[in-house]
Parts: sequence; C-alpha cells; structure tokens
Amino acid sequence: MAEAILRLDGVVKRFAGHTAVHDLSMAVPAGGIFGLLGPNGAGKTTTIRMIMNVITPDAGRITLFGGPVSRSLAARVGFLPEERGLYKKMRVLDHLVFFGELKGLTPRAARTRSREWLDRLGLADWSSHKVEDLSKGMQQKVQFISALLHEPELLVLDEPFSGLDPVNSQVMKDVVVDLARQGRTVLFSTHIMEQAERMCDRIVIISRGRKVVDGAIAEVKRDFGGSYVALAFGRDGARAAPVLADRTLVAQVDDYGASAEVRLADGAAADQLLARLVSAGVGLTRFEVVEPSLHSIFIAKVGPEAATAPAKEELVHG
Amino acid sequence: MDKVWAVIRREFISRVQSRAFVISTILGPLLMGALFMMPILLAKRQTAARHVVVLDGAGGDFGRQVADRLRAEMRDTVTHTIPRYRVEYVAAAGRLDAVRDSLVALTGLRKAGPGALDGVLVLWDSTLATGKMQYDGANVGSPNDMNALERAVRPLVIGARLERAGVDPDVVAAAQGKVELRTERVSQGKLTGQSGDASFLLAYVMSFMLYLALLLYGMQVMSSVVEEKSSRIVEVLVSSLTPFQLLMGKVIGVASVALLQLSIWAGTAMVLTTYRLQVAGAFGASPRTVSDLPIPTVSPAMLVVFLGFFVLGFFFYSAMYAAVGSMCNSHQEAQQSQTPVTLFVAAGLMLMFSLLGEPNGTMAHVLSLVPFFAPFVTPVRYSLSPLPWSELLLSVLAMVAGLVVVVWIAARIYRVGILSYGKKPRLAELARWVRTA
Repeated sequence: MAEAILRLDGVVKRFAGHTAVHDLSMAVPAGGIFGLLGPNGAGKTTTIRMIMNVITPDAGRITLFGGPVSRSLAARVGFLPEERGLYKKMRVLDHLVFFGELKGLTPRAARTRSREWLDRLGLADWSSHKVEDLSKGMQQKVQFISALLHEPELLVLDEPFSGLDPVNSQVMKDVVVDLARQGRTVLFSTHIMEQAERMCDRIVIISRGRKVVDGAIAEVKRDFGGSYVALAFGRDGARAAPVLADRTLVAQVDDYGASAEVRLADGAAADQLLARLVSAGVGLTRFEVVEPSLHSIFIAKVGPEAATAPAKEELVHG
Repeated sequence: MDKVWAVIRREFISRVQSRAFVISTILGPLLMGALFMMPILLAKRQTAARHVVVLDGAGGDFGRQVADRLRAEMRDTVTHTIPRYRVEYVAAAGRLDAVRDSLVALTGLRKAGPGALDGVLVLWDSTLATGKMQYDGANVGSPNDMNALERAVRPLVIGARLERAGVDPDVVAAAQGKVELRTERVSQGKLTGQSGDASFLLAYVMSFMLYLALLLYGMQVMSSVVEEKSSRIVEVLVSSLTPFQLLMGKVIGVASVALLQLSIWAGTAMVLTTYRLQVAGAFGASPRTVSDLPIPTVSPAMLVVFLGFFVLGFFFYSAMYAAVGSMCNSHQEAQQSQTPVTLFVAAGLMLMFSLLGEPNGTMAHVLSLVPFFAPFVTPVRYSLSPLPWSELLLSVLAMVAGLVVVVWIAARIYRVGILSYGKKPRLAELARWVRTA
C-alpha cells in the first residue's frame, strides 16, 4: 500500500440538510481495479466528484499522484460521470476529438485514437453520425471512449455498466480488465456486487457516507469469517426448508428458490448439513463449501441502513 | 490555452455547420437585396398618372390656371419621366354641390374604367382669399401625393394674390423660383459626401443589426450553457478546465460566429452600395435616380466603431445570459428567466431611437457612459453626427469598466450555478454565490 495513486484522508462533504460523505479515508494503490461500492445514495458519486475536482470537500484532504487535486492533472485522469451526457448535435468523431483535446491531446492524435477505439467497440460505421442518432448503449460507449482516449493512468468510472445490455457490458468489462493488465488503475463505483466481486482487486464499501468495509477482496472475505455452503436443489427444494431452519446447524440462509447460500452455525460442520440434506431427499445438484459472496457481506454490513438511505444524492445541490 | 481554443473551435464549428446559421446567413443578404430593389420595383409599378378633375366653383382664370399647372406637373420615376396627372377642367359656378356629388360618385371606382377618378379638386369663390380648397380623393392617405398636390397649387395661389395686389407678374414668377436644400454630413471637419437621410438610415439599420445579433447570439450562449448543464457534460469539462476558461471559450466562440455572420452581411451591403449603379441598372433604373436614393456609404472608421462596440456589448450581455443559463436546469426555465437581461437589450434599442432626434443632447452624453446602453447609443451617435475622440474613448472606457464588473459577477454565478441542481436560486442565494465562489 506504499504507492497509493489516490488517497483520501478524513474527507467530509456536507450539503444543505445532510452530510453526504462523512470522514472518509481510503487509499487506491497503483495498478489494478478498485471498487467503490455502496447502495444508492451512499455518497459514491459525491466522493467521485470530489476526486475529479468537480466539487471541493468541506474538510479532509485528497491526494492524487502524490499532490493535491488539480486540473493540471486532468491529462492523467479519465472520467466517466454517472449522468451520461454528450452534445447531441455533434458528430461522434468530432465529439471524441474535442474531449481528447480537452485532455491535452493534439487534434491529430485524438482523431487517430478515436478511430481506433470506435473500431474496437464496433462503432466505426457511426463515426460521422450525429450523437443523437445513436442508441443509448452506443452513446454510453462513445462516452466511455472519451474517458480513456488520452490513455490516463487513473480511470474513474461512475456506474460504468448501468443501463448496458449483457453484450455491451461484456465488451466494456473486457476493456477495463485489459487496461488494468497494462498497469493502469481503474476506480469504479457500482452497486452490483457480482460485478465487483469478479473484477475488483480491492474494494471499499460505503453506506450513508461512512466507510464500512475496506480491503483486498480475499482479505475482506477472510475477515468477515464464517463457513459458507452454496447449494442447489434438483427435485424438491421445499423439503430442504426444515433442515435449513435448524438454527443449531444453519445460522443464516440467502434463499434463491432453486439454490441457496447458507452460513453454518458456529460449531456446525459442513458434512453434518450434507448428511441431513441427503436424508431429506432434496435432490442435491450442488454442495460446495465457499467463501462468503460479496453480496452477502454487503447485505450483512449495510442491509439495515441501506433500506433507509436518503434520496438520490445527485438531486442534492450544494 | 489549448483547451480554451478547443472550446472556442467547438462552439464555432458546431454553430457554423448548423442549418440555422446557413439559412439566416443567406436570408440576410437576400433581404438586403430586396430592400435595395424594392423602391426601384415599386417606382416602376406606380407609373399611372392620377386622374383628377379640377372643379371650379368660382369661374374666371384661376381654375384654368390650376388645371394647366397640374397638366404640366411631371413625375420622375426611376426609369423615366411621365406626366403626374391626367386633368379635366369642369366649370361649375352656381351648381357646384350637385356636380361635386356626381363626380365623387365616380371616384375610386375601378369598374368605371378609364372614366374612374382618383380625386376631385374643388375650388370655391373664396379660395383665392382664404387659401382654402378641397380635395376629395381615393389617394388622400398618401403623403407623397398630397405633398405633391400642395406643392403644385401653392405658388399659384400666392401668385394670384400678389398679382391682385398689383405686383408685376414677371416679378412674381421670378420670386417663385425653386429653393432647394441639399444636405451633406460633416464629420471631423470634412465633408463626407453623404446626405442626412443616408446617415439616418445607416444608424437605424446598424442599431437594429446590433439588437438582433445581441439578442440571438446572447441567447445561444445561454442555451449552450443550459445544454452542458442539463446533460452533465459540464462535469467532464470542469474536471479539465476552469469554469472561467469554459465561459470565455464559449463566449468568444459564439462571438466569432456572430462576427462572421455580421461581416458576411456587411460585405454584401458594401458590394450592393458600391456597385449600386450597375445593380440598379440591371433592373432598368437610370443612374441619376439611383444616386438620389438615400443609400449610405460605410466608412472604415465607422465599421471599426460599430464592430468594437458590438464585441464589447456582446461580451457584456452574453456574460449575463451565461449566468442566467447556469442558474437554470432546462431550456424552458432559462427562457423564463432571461427576461430581465432581454429587457435591458430592448431598452437600449428604444433609447437609441429616442436619441435619433437629438444625438448630442445631455441625455445622449449620459447614456453613452452607461455600459448597458452604450453599445447601442455610441455607434449610432457616431454615425449621426461627429463625435469627439475624447468622448468616444470615454464611452469605451466606461464600457470596459462595466464589462469587467459584469464578467466578474457573472463568472462567479456561473461557477457555482453550473454544478448546482434543483431549485433556482433566489436573489439572496445568488448574492451568497457571488460572495463565496
């Protein structure tokens, strides 16, 4: 953790009426994918806006590349805001070139790279169309390109996958993973835990403006503790109910109908549960001792609070 | 600076490529050409002589004299010279009212064919003594026709009276020789070769162009701000350049579009006026009449003053429009909120009109020093009457000072406004933005 590319120390942001970010400290190491997780209204977007110097914190310090946040660092950072917006009347290629220039590229370089990226993301045929002619998913890809066109060292993506279909989502995921492999740092926010679990090296979970979890994924899972078993039923899931309801054996069930993730009670062993399920005749198709999923950690840490989270943070002005 | 340049270029190119710009740029010169050709074409069309009856209720020489005089009146049209009137003389002493009624019944009737009258000029017994006569006509609404009629008849009345008083007819004729007042504008102690009509027209057209350009392009700055704000593009922008750089780039970009359009228009106007003889000739007008048309020539100095004040005024007002845009979340909201700014622009135009009559009065002096109105008042004063350099300079200085203050305030509102969503701020809140930004 010595070489943090981005560090927040005791950052506070208040808006009229409430505190959106409360004493947040975190460090993003250089390289890899960093997840900023939290339910809606947790303060993710506010945090990212402060990192991007769109708004300034009321207290605390943000250190980027070892110095204070400043616009002179714009060329080293790429930013995809949560709210998607492009100039509707501009042509796709012109639009990308404009954003590239704002990040310090020459028009010629911006043009060449834009073409390459449009090609790679399957938008080559659309480069001379106006933005308003594109579908929402295509516009999102254009905006995604504009964030990484200048090959930034740090890429900040606010909810990059929201609103994308699985195919486009996959394409964008591949790009992000690829960038991380090249040694760049990606910080992205999401409230979709499965995605974060598969992609991130490190995560921070915030809830109502406070940090509740911080660390490498493996660490976080280990620290969360408990033994977990993933189950799937072939024939008759209903027969499993009495077994799973036995509190001496099972502490908690995350039931999905045909499958479930359970946390074993303290002192209970996995083979005891296996024996009971087999004798109940539930037709097991899967029985696997697993680490806790990020999802269950998330629910356990922020579940009760998330339900009462304030309205969408973006609507609050400051 | 490269980034500001990128913003300027984006604003410029995306606007110049738009259909609205192309259409309005072409429409402008077309309209100008139409304005130039209109008098020629209209003059060509109205060549029919007025059919007038001189109804003489007095008897004697005077009625005949009037009729002869009218017959001799000629009218210069752009293309040729024709008699102004087709005159019939009717002596009606003693039965004036009855004849008058029957003639009036024929007046203005198209279906009466060649017998239709344009009007009846009634002379009474008392006309010579009182100077009163009556014209009943279909064309009394035309100031041109009425002036021409009065001009033709007046010397006859005066002459007849003088002769009656015993003055030698030759003396009367000589005394009634034509008096002609030609006007020519003096500027900086030099004759400009320009008539008073022409400089009035120039001032009028210029201030209108200024008004339209300020309004149209100022609004464009505003809607560009609203677009960036409502689409949140502004978040990406302000993470790469300061709000002030963004504001400057935007205003300069839109200003260059406005200047481009104005120069295309001004260029067309200059070509039209420089080659007016050839252009008018192509429409069949004679050179002499064209040179009488009140068409102004634009001197380079005047162009500099006009464009200089346009640029200052544009920055002044578009900074305000940008501030208004930054407070609003949608185009509709912005449309409602821009009224105060637009009122100032409109007031500037109104005040300018009120000064046309007295371009060097106290009011004019004071208004040239008020930044809100100087962009309208000063160039118009400059075109109407010579303006000392000291006064011109003072007006520019006042304008620059006002500009600095307005841009300072507007930039602060803009900086906070573009990132604030939700309810529009009240005045107290705005003041806080300006203080704390």
